[in-house]
Amino acid sequence: MNARILLIEDKAGLLDTLKSLLELHNYTVYTASNGQEGLSIATRYLPDLVISDITMPVLNGYALLDSFRADPQLSKIPVLIASAKNEDHEIELVMQKGAAGYLTKPFVFAHLHEEIKRLLGNSMIAAKK
Amino acid sequence: MDSTNSSGSDTLLSNASNVIAITAHEFKTPLTTINSIVDLLTSKLQADHLMNAFYQQNLSRISSEIFALNSMVDEMLTINNILNGNIQSNREMMDIGLLLSPLKEQYQAFPDDGRSLIIHVTGTPKEICASAAQLSRVLSNLISNAFKYSRKSDPVLHLDYQEKKVVITITDDGIGIPEKDLPQLFQPYFRASNAEGISGTGLGLSIVKSFITANEGDITVNSQPDKGTVFTVTFRYPDTCQ
Repeated sequence: MNARILLIEDKAGLLDTLKSLLELHNYTVYTASNGQEGLSIATRYLPDLVISDITMPVLNGYALLDSFRADPQLSKIPVLIASAKNEDHEIELVMQKGAAGYLTKPFVFAHLHEEIKRLLGNSMIAAKK
Repeated sequence: MDSTNSSGSDTLLSNASNVIAITAHEFKTPLTTINSIVDLLTSKLQADHLMNAFYQQNLSRISSEIFALNSMVDEMLTINNILNGNIQSNREMMDIGLLLSPLKEQYQAFPDDGRSLIIHVTGTPKEICASAAQLSRVLSNLISNAFKYSRKSDPVLHLDYQEKKVVITITDDGIGIPEKDLPQLFQPYFRASNAEGISGTGLGLSIVKSFITANEGDITVNSQPDKGTVFTVTFRYPDTCQ
Protein backbone atom coordinates (compact mmCIF):
# COMPACT_ATOMS: atom_id res chain seq x y z
CA MET A 1 0.00 0.00 0.00
CA ASN A 2 1.29 3.42 -0.92
CA ALA A 3 2.15 5.81 1.87
CA ARG A 4 -0.49 8.55 2.20
CA ILE A 5 0.60 12.17 2.44
CA LEU A 6 -1.53 15.22 3.20
CA LEU A 7 -0.22 18.42 1.57
CA ILE A 8 -1.42 21.72 3.08
CA GLU A 9 -0.46 24.79 1.04
CA ASP A 10 -2.45 27.89 0.11
CA LYS A 11 -0.63 28.60 -3.17
CA ALA A 12 -2.53 26.55 -5.75
CA GLY A 13 0.35 26.37 -8.26
CA LEU A 14 2.77 24.94 -5.71
CA LEU A 15 0.13 22.59 -4.29
CA ASP A 16 -0.64 21.13 -7.73
CA THR A 17 3.03 20.75 -8.66
CA LEU A 18 3.99 19.03 -5.40
CA LYS A 19 0.96 16.74 -5.67
CA SER A 20 2.05 15.69 -9.19
CA LEU A 21 5.64 15.16 -8.02
CA LEU A 22 4.62 13.00 -5.08
CA GLU A 23 2.17 10.99 -7.17
CA LEU A 24 4.92 10.42 -9.74
CA HIS A 25 6.92 8.90 -6.86
CA ASN A 26 4.01 6.59 -5.98
CA TYR A 27 2.57 8.34 -2.97
CA THR A 28 -1.15 8.77 -2.40
CA VAL A 29 -1.74 12.47 -1.93
CA TYR A 30 -4.54 14.45 -0.24
CA THR A 31 -4.52 18.23 -0.56
CA ALA A 32 -5.84 21.17 1.45
CA SER A 33 -5.51 24.90 0.87
CA ASN A 34 -5.49 26.00 4.52
CA GLY A 35 -4.97 24.62 8.01
CA GLN A 36 -8.67 24.21 8.80
CA GLU A 37 -9.31 22.17 5.68
CA GLY A 38 -6.11 20.22 6.40
CA LEU A 39 -7.27 19.43 9.93
CA SER A 40 -10.60 18.17 8.64
CA ILE A 41 -8.96 15.91 6.00
CA ALA A 42 -6.37 14.66 8.50
CA THR A 43 -9.13 13.69 10.97
CA ARG A 44 -11.05 11.88 8.25
CA TYR A 45 -8.20 9.98 6.53
CA LEU A 46 -5.42 9.82 9.19
CA PRO A 47 -2.58 10.13 6.65
CA ASP A 48 0.90 8.72 7.30
CA LEU A 49 2.53 12.15 6.98
CA VAL A 50 1.49 15.81 6.74
CA ILE A 51 3.51 18.43 4.85
CA SER A 52 2.33 21.95 5.69
CA ASP A 53 3.10 25.59 5.06
CA ILE A 54 3.01 28.08 7.98
CA THR A 55 1.50 31.26 6.54
CA MET A 56 -2.01 30.33 5.41
CA PRO A 57 -5.50 31.81 5.70
CA VAL A 58 -8.18 30.57 8.15
CA LEU A 59 -5.82 28.41 10.25
CA ASN A 60 -2.05 28.85 10.03
CA GLY A 61 0.69 26.29 10.52
CA TYR A 62 1.29 27.15 14.20
CA ALA A 63 -2.39 26.62 15.07
CA LEU A 64 -2.42 23.46 12.98
CA LEU A 65 0.49 22.05 15.02
CA ASP A 66 -1.31 22.98 18.26
CA SER A 67 -4.46 21.20 17.06
CA PHE A 68 -2.50 18.08 16.07
CA ARG A 69 -0.76 17.96 19.43
CA ALA A 70 -4.06 18.29 21.30
CA ASP A 71 -5.69 15.39 19.44
CA PRO A 72 -4.59 11.89 20.55
CA GLN A 73 -5.13 10.41 17.07
CA LEU A 74 -3.47 13.21 15.12
CA SER A 75 -0.57 13.66 17.53
CA LYS A 76 0.98 10.42 16.22
CA ILE A 77 1.16 11.73 12.64
CA PRO A 78 4.49 13.41 11.78
CA VAL A 79 4.12 16.97 10.45
CA LEU A 80 6.84 18.32 8.18
CA ILE A 81 6.78 22.12 7.92
CA ALA A 82 7.86 23.64 4.58
CA SER A 83 8.08 27.41 4.87
CA ALA A 84 9.82 30.47 3.44
CA LYS A 85 10.61 31.57 6.99
CA ASN A 86 14.24 30.72 7.63
CA GLU A 87 14.98 32.55 10.89
CA ASP A 88 16.28 30.39 13.74
CA HIS A 89 13.54 31.49 16.15
CA GLU A 90 10.80 30.49 13.66
CA ILE A 91 12.32 27.04 13.23
CA GLU A 92 12.71 26.63 17.01
CA LEU A 93 9.09 27.67 17.54
CA VAL A 94 7.58 25.10 15.16
CA MET A 95 9.86 22.36 16.50
CA GLN A 96 8.70 23.23 20.03
CA LYS A 97 5.12 22.97 18.80
CA GLY A 98 5.77 19.39 17.74
CA ALA A 99 6.84 19.56 14.07
CA ALA A 100 8.80 16.47 13.03
CA GLY A 101 10.95 18.36 10.52
CA TYR A 102 11.51 21.72 8.84
CA LEU A 103 12.29 22.48 5.22
CA THR A 104 13.06 26.01 4.07
CA LYS A 105 11.58 27.23 0.78
CA PRO A 106 12.78 27.08 -1.90
CA PHE A 107 13.82 23.44 -1.64
CA VAL A 108 14.80 20.79 -4.14
CA PHE A 109 12.55 17.75 -4.35
CA ALA A 110 15.47 15.45 -3.49
CA HIS A 111 15.68 17.06 -0.03
CA LEU A 112 11.92 16.90 0.45
CA HIS A 113 11.98 13.23 -0.56
CA GLU A 114 14.80 12.50 1.90
CA GLU A 115 12.77 14.07 4.69
CA ILE A 116 9.65 12.12 3.66
CA LYS A 117 11.60 8.85 3.70
CA ARG A 118 13.15 9.68 7.05
CA LEU A 119 9.79 10.51 8.60
CA LEU A 120 7.87 7.61 7.13
CA GLY A 121 10.58 5.13 7.97
CA ASN A 122 12.05 2.71 5.51
CA SER A 123 9.27 0.15 5.86
CA MET A 124 6.68 2.60 4.61
CA ILE A 125 8.48 3.96 1.59
CA ALA A 126 6.14 3.86 -1.34
CA ALA A 127 8.56 5.31 -3.84
CA LYS A 128 10.14 3.04 -6.38
CA LYS A 129 12.96 4.13 -8.59
CA MET B 1 8.70 69.70 15.61
CA ASP B 2 11.97 67.91 15.23
CA SER B 3 10.73 64.98 17.23
CA THR B 4 7.57 64.79 15.09
CA ASN B 5 9.68 64.73 11.92
CA SER B 6 11.99 62.16 13.41
CA SER B 7 9.07 60.00 14.46
CA GLY B 8 7.53 60.31 10.99
CA SER B 9 10.73 59.30 9.23
CA ASP B 10 11.24 56.44 11.69
CA THR B 11 7.75 55.16 10.85
CA LEU B 12 8.47 55.52 7.14
CA LEU B 13 11.75 53.61 7.51
CA SER B 14 10.05 50.95 9.59
CA ASN B 15 7.31 50.58 6.95
CA ALA B 16 9.89 50.41 4.15
CA SER B 17 11.79 47.78 6.11
CA ASN B 18 8.59 45.75 6.58
CA VAL B 19 7.83 46.02 2.86
CA ILE B 20 11.31 44.68 2.04
CA ALA B 21 10.90 41.81 4.52
CA ILE B 22 7.41 40.87 3.26
CA THR B 23 8.38 41.20 -0.41
CA ALA B 24 11.50 39.09 0.09
CA HIS B 25 9.45 36.34 1.77
CA GLU B 26 6.78 36.55 -0.92
CA PHE B 27 9.45 35.93 -3.59
CA LYS B 28 10.23 32.55 -2.11
CA THR B 29 6.93 30.82 -2.84
CA PRO B 30 7.04 31.42 -6.62
CA LEU B 31 10.71 30.39 -6.57
CA THR B 32 9.68 27.16 -4.83
CA THR B 33 6.93 26.60 -7.39
CA ILE B 34 9.28 27.18 -10.35
CA ASN B 35 11.90 24.86 -8.89
CA SER B 36 9.27 22.22 -8.13
CA ILE B 37 8.15 22.41 -11.78
CA VAL B 38 11.80 21.86 -12.82
CA ASP B 39 11.91 18.85 -10.46
CA LEU B 40 8.60 17.58 -11.85
CA LEU B 41 9.83 17.85 -15.45
CA THR B 42 13.09 16.11 -14.47
CA SER B 43 11.24 13.28 -12.72
CA LYS B 44 8.78 12.86 -15.60
CA LEU B 45 11.52 12.83 -18.27
CA GLN B 46 13.42 10.23 -16.24
CA ALA B 47 10.30 8.10 -15.65
CA ASP B 48 9.51 8.18 -19.40
CA HIS B 49 13.18 7.45 -20.30
CA LEU B 50 13.35 10.70 -22.27
CA MET B 51 16.03 12.46 -20.24
CA ASN B 52 19.18 13.39 -22.17
CA ALA B 53 22.23 15.57 -21.55
CA PHE B 54 20.65 18.63 -23.21
CA TYR B 55 17.51 18.55 -21.04
CA GLN B 56 19.53 17.73 -17.93
CA GLN B 57 21.98 20.60 -18.44
CA ASN B 58 19.31 23.21 -19.10
CA LEU B 59 17.00 22.10 -16.31
CA SER B 60 20.00 22.26 -13.95
CA ARG B 61 20.73 25.77 -15.21
CA ILE B 62 17.19 26.92 -14.41
CA SER B 63 17.51 25.40 -10.95
CA SER B 64 20.85 27.04 -10.21
CA GLU B 65 19.54 30.45 -11.35
CA ILE B 66 16.54 30.01 -9.03
CA PHE B 67 18.86 29.38 -6.07
CA ALA B 68 21.11 32.29 -7.10
CA LEU B 69 18.05 34.54 -7.05
CA ASN B 70 17.06 33.08 -3.69
CA SER B 71 20.53 33.88 -2.30
CA MET B 72 20.11 37.49 -3.41
CA VAL B 73 16.73 37.66 -1.67
CA ASP B 74 18.31 36.20 1.49
CA GLU B 75 21.09 38.78 1.36
CA MET B 76 18.55 41.59 1.05
CA LEU B 77 16.61 40.21 4.01
CA THR B 78 19.73 39.83 6.14
CA ILE B 79 21.06 43.30 5.39
CA ASN B 80 17.59 44.73 6.04
CA ASN B 81 17.61 43.04 9.46
CA ILE B 82 21.15 44.23 10.19
CA LEU B 83 20.36 47.84 9.22
CA ASN B 84 17.29 47.72 11.48
CA GLY B 85 19.13 46.17 14.41
CA ASN B 86 17.07 42.99 14.19
CA ILE B 87 20.00 40.60 14.19
CA GLN B 88 20.32 38.47 17.30
CA SER B 89 23.49 36.53 18.05
CA ASN B 90 22.71 33.32 19.90
CA ARG B 91 26.28 32.90 21.07
CA GLU B 92 27.53 29.78 22.80
CA MET B 93 30.83 27.98 23.24
CA MET B 94 31.62 26.23 19.97
CA ASP B 95 34.51 24.84 17.95
CA ILE B 96 34.68 26.61 14.61
CA GLY B 97 36.40 23.51 13.17
CA LEU B 98 33.08 21.65 13.35
CA LEU B 99 31.65 24.02 10.73
CA LEU B 100 34.21 22.99 8.13
CA SER B 101 32.96 19.53 7.19
CA PRO B 102 29.56 20.65 5.82
CA LEU B 103 31.26 23.57 4.05
CA LYS B 104 33.77 21.22 2.44
CA GLU B 105 30.88 19.08 1.22
CA GLN B 106 28.93 22.13 -0.01
CA TYR B 107 31.88 23.36 -2.07
CA GLN B 108 33.09 19.92 -3.19
CA ALA B 109 32.28 20.52 -6.85
CA PHE B 110 31.70 24.24 -7.02
CA PRO B 111 31.44 25.98 -9.43
CA ASP B 112 31.32 23.02 -11.80
CA ASP B 113 34.87 23.52 -13.04
CA GLY B 114 36.54 20.70 -11.16
CA ARG B 115 37.91 22.86 -8.36
CA SER B 116 37.24 22.17 -4.71
CA LEU B 117 37.95 23.78 -1.37
CA ILE B 118 41.30 22.92 0.26
CA ILE B 119 41.21 22.94 4.08
CA HIS B 120 44.23 22.98 6.41
CA VAL B 121 43.88 22.82 10.18
CA THR B 122 46.77 23.48 12.56
CA GLY B 123 47.01 23.67 16.35
CA THR B 124 44.89 22.15 19.09
CA PRO B 125 41.11 22.77 18.82
CA LYS B 126 39.77 25.28 21.33
CA GLU B 127 36.31 26.79 21.62
CA ILE B 128 35.20 30.37 21.01
CA CYS B 129 32.01 32.16 22.02
CA ALA B 130 29.96 32.67 18.84
CA SER B 131 26.78 31.97 16.91
CA ALA B 132 27.41 28.85 14.80
CA ALA B 133 24.75 29.88 12.27
CA GLN B 134 26.30 33.32 11.74
CA LEU B 135 29.85 31.97 11.53
CA SER B 136 28.76 29.36 9.06
CA ARG B 137 27.28 32.17 6.93
CA VAL B 138 30.51 34.17 7.26
CA LEU B 139 32.68 31.29 6.08
CA SER B 140 30.23 30.34 3.33
CA ASN B 141 30.20 33.90 1.95
CA LEU B 142 34.00 34.20 2.00
CA ILE B 143 34.50 30.78 0.38
CA SER B 144 31.84 31.52 -2.23
CA ASN B 145 33.63 34.78 -3.10
CA ALA B 146 36.97 32.98 -3.32
CA PHE B 147 35.52 30.66 -5.96
CA LYS B 148 33.58 33.38 -7.74
CA TYR B 149 36.46 35.82 -8.18
CA SER B 150 39.14 33.29 -9.14
CA ARG B 151 39.47 30.85 -12.00
CA LYS B 152 42.61 28.74 -11.71
CA SER B 153 43.54 27.23 -8.36
CA ASP B 154 41.51 25.74 -5.52
CA PRO B 155 40.68 28.30 -2.81
CA VAL B 156 42.38 27.45 0.50
CA LEU B 157 40.92 27.78 3.99
CA HIS B 158 43.45 27.60 6.82
CA LEU B 159 42.17 27.25 10.38
CA ASP B 160 44.92 27.92 12.90
CA TYR B 161 44.26 27.40 16.63
CA GLN B 162 46.84 29.72 18.15
CA GLU B 163 47.60 30.21 21.85
CA LYS B 164 45.18 33.07 22.50
CA LYS B 165 43.03 33.20 19.39
CA VAL B 166 41.79 31.24 16.42
CA VAL B 167 42.73 32.59 12.99
CA ILE B 168 40.99 31.64 9.77
CA THR B 169 42.45 32.68 6.42
CA ILE B 170 40.71 32.21 3.08
CA THR B 171 43.01 32.59 0.12
CA ASP B 172 42.38 32.73 -3.60
CA ASP B 173 44.48 33.54 -6.66
CA GLY B 174 41.77 35.57 -8.33
CA ILE B 175 41.23 39.02 -9.77
CA GLY B 176 42.04 40.74 -6.46
CA ILE B 177 40.67 44.05 -5.22
CA PRO B 178 42.02 47.45 -6.34
CA GLU B 179 43.67 49.32 -3.44
CA LYS B 180 41.36 52.31 -3.84
CA ASP B 181 38.33 50.06 -3.24
CA LEU B 182 39.57 48.43 -0.03
CA PRO B 183 38.30 51.11 2.43
CA GLN B 184 34.72 50.70 1.17
CA LEU B 185 34.78 46.94 0.75
CA PHE B 186 32.47 46.15 3.69
CA GLN B 187 29.90 48.86 2.91
CA PRO B 188 26.43 47.60 1.86
CA TYR B 189 25.90 47.51 -1.92
CA PHE B 190 29.54 48.40 -2.64
CA ARG B 191 31.17 46.38 -5.43
CA ALA B 192 34.84 46.56 -6.39
CA SER B 193 35.50 48.42 -9.62
CA ASN B 194 36.94 45.30 -11.30
CA ALA B 195 33.91 43.09 -10.42
CA GLU B 196 31.85 44.31 -13.35
CA GLY B 197 30.35 41.40 -15.26
CA ILE B 198 30.45 39.09 -12.23
CA SER B 199 27.05 38.59 -10.59
CA GLY B 200 26.55 39.85 -7.05
CA THR B 201 24.58 42.27 -4.89
CA GLY B 202 27.43 43.92 -2.99
CA LEU B 203 25.85 42.76 0.27
CA GLY B 204 27.82 39.60 1.06
CA LEU B 205 30.90 41.22 2.64
CA SER B 206 28.77 43.72 4.52
CA ILE B 207 26.90 40.78 6.10
CA VAL B 208 30.24 39.07 6.83
CA LYS B 209 31.56 42.15 8.61
CA SER B 210 28.33 42.64 10.61
CA PHE B 211 28.24 39.02 11.79
CA ILE B 212 31.93 39.03 12.74
CA THR B 213 31.49 42.26 14.71
CA ALA B 214 28.36 40.86 16.43
CA ASN B 215 30.48 37.90 17.54
CA GLU B 216 33.36 40.13 18.74
CA GLY B 217 35.73 38.99 16.02
CA ASP B 218 37.88 40.84 13.55
CA ILE B 219 38.37 40.68 9.78
CA THR B 220 41.15 42.06 7.61
CA VAL B 221 41.87 41.79 3.92
CA ASN B 222 45.08 41.74 1.87
CA SER B 223 44.71 41.84 -1.86
CA GLN B 224 46.61 42.50 -5.05
CA PRO B 225 44.85 42.92 -8.39
CA ASP B 226 45.37 39.90 -10.68
CA LYS B 227 47.24 38.04 -7.93
CA GLY B 228 44.58 37.23 -5.38
CA THR B 229 43.00 37.99 -2.05
CA VAL B 230 43.45 36.80 1.53
CA PHE B 231 40.71 37.40 4.11
CA THR B 232 41.81 36.88 7.72
CA VAL B 233 39.18 36.34 10.42
CA THR B 234 40.20 36.29 14.09
CA PHE B 235 38.38 35.37 17.30
CA ARG B 236 39.99 35.51 20.73
CA TYR B 237 39.29 32.69 23.18
CA PRO B 238 36.87 34.02 25.80
CA ASP B 239 36.94 33.73 29.59
CA THR B 240 33.15 33.52 29.65
CA CYS B 241 30.35 33.28 27.08
CA GLN B 242 27.21 35.35 27.55
